[in-house]
Amino acid sequence: MYEEKNTEPDFLKRTEKNPFRTPDHYFESLEDRVMANIEYQTQKKSSPTKLFQLLKPALGLVASFALVYLLVYYPINTFLLKDTALTSTDESTTSSQIDAYTLNFSLVDESTFISTLFSDDTDQTANINPDEFLAYLSTGMSDVEIYSEIQN
Amino acid sequence: MTTDQQILDSLKDTSTKELAFRHLVAKYKERLYWHIRKILLNHDDTDDVLQNTFIKIWNGLDTFRAESSLFTWLYRIATNESITFLNQRKRRMMSGLTDENEYLIGNLESDTYFDGDEWQMLLQKAIATLPDKQRIVFNMKYFDEIKYEEMSEILETSVGALKASYHHAVKKVEEYVKLHESRIES
Repeated sequence: MYEEKNTEPDFLKRTEKNPFRTPDHYFESLEDRVMANIEYQTQKKSSPTKLFQLLKPALGLVASFALVYLLVYYPINTFLLKDTALTSTDESTTSSQIDAYTLNFSLVDESTFISTLFSDDTDQTANINPDEFLAYLSTGMSDVEIYSEIQN
Repeated sequence: MTTDQQILDSLKDTSTKELAFRHLVAKYKERLYWHIRKILLNHDDTDDVLQNTFIKIWNGLDTFRAESSLFTWLYRIATNESITFLNQRKRRMMSGLTDENEYLIGNLESDTYFDGDEWQMLLQKAIATLPDKQRIVFNMKYFDEIKYEEMSEILETSVGALKASYHHAVKKVEEYVKLHESRIES
């Protein structure tokens, strides 16, 4: 089907086939250059620096990891975590203080608070009898109950 | 002249291996050079690839199994080395070029070892526009006059596919020449 005799046009017969040339005496020295090249490649393969060349990427990788550890991981571990610990201690202190204040405020009942506000006597605490105070505590009454008691 | 079998026998013996390889280089250097040169079109590139081809042949001597002829094996290595080289160069040059074959045409125009006239330059430019596979088939058939059966072994392609490739290549070359020949005649 594809016979070249039928398809080859005239223009292909019009020219000399090889228009290329080589530098003078190129082929004469080719064997020597090829053999020298092969010898060079063989020497390069068996060179003592080859072990170092092979290990070079691995060593580079180890050095990079060490550098990253020193510059990033170590400072984070040493300084940042210490700061975090301190901050969390502060936070716990602050919250316990708030709890304490809240507790104190809840202990102040309304009557005491109002009487304190409108009373001229600034030393009322001194008149509280300890037995009365203990009796008051032992009743376990709520603020509403105390208020209704006072009202009655 | 040393036969292929004598070369192969000597290559197996470590004491005669280097000398046998010298014989191999001496016997095939010109054929391989011209085969590579037709693909790459430039002497300097051809010299590089030819050196690499012989190094590959030297390193692969132990793997040669004599299932194909020595000539076929050598041609196959030279062809593969040329295509690999060409692809690497094309990839490197592609960013600045609109057509990948411009690299080959540029190679041809800058080659100081091209002695052809305008017709030959036109023919080479036409061949340079072909896809790699068609170009190799055209070169092997037209310039090297290699039989399809041998070409089939070298390129590991069926004879029918090779004939079709050559047919299409000739048609494309003819069209290119017809389109550009007026510039020469005027």
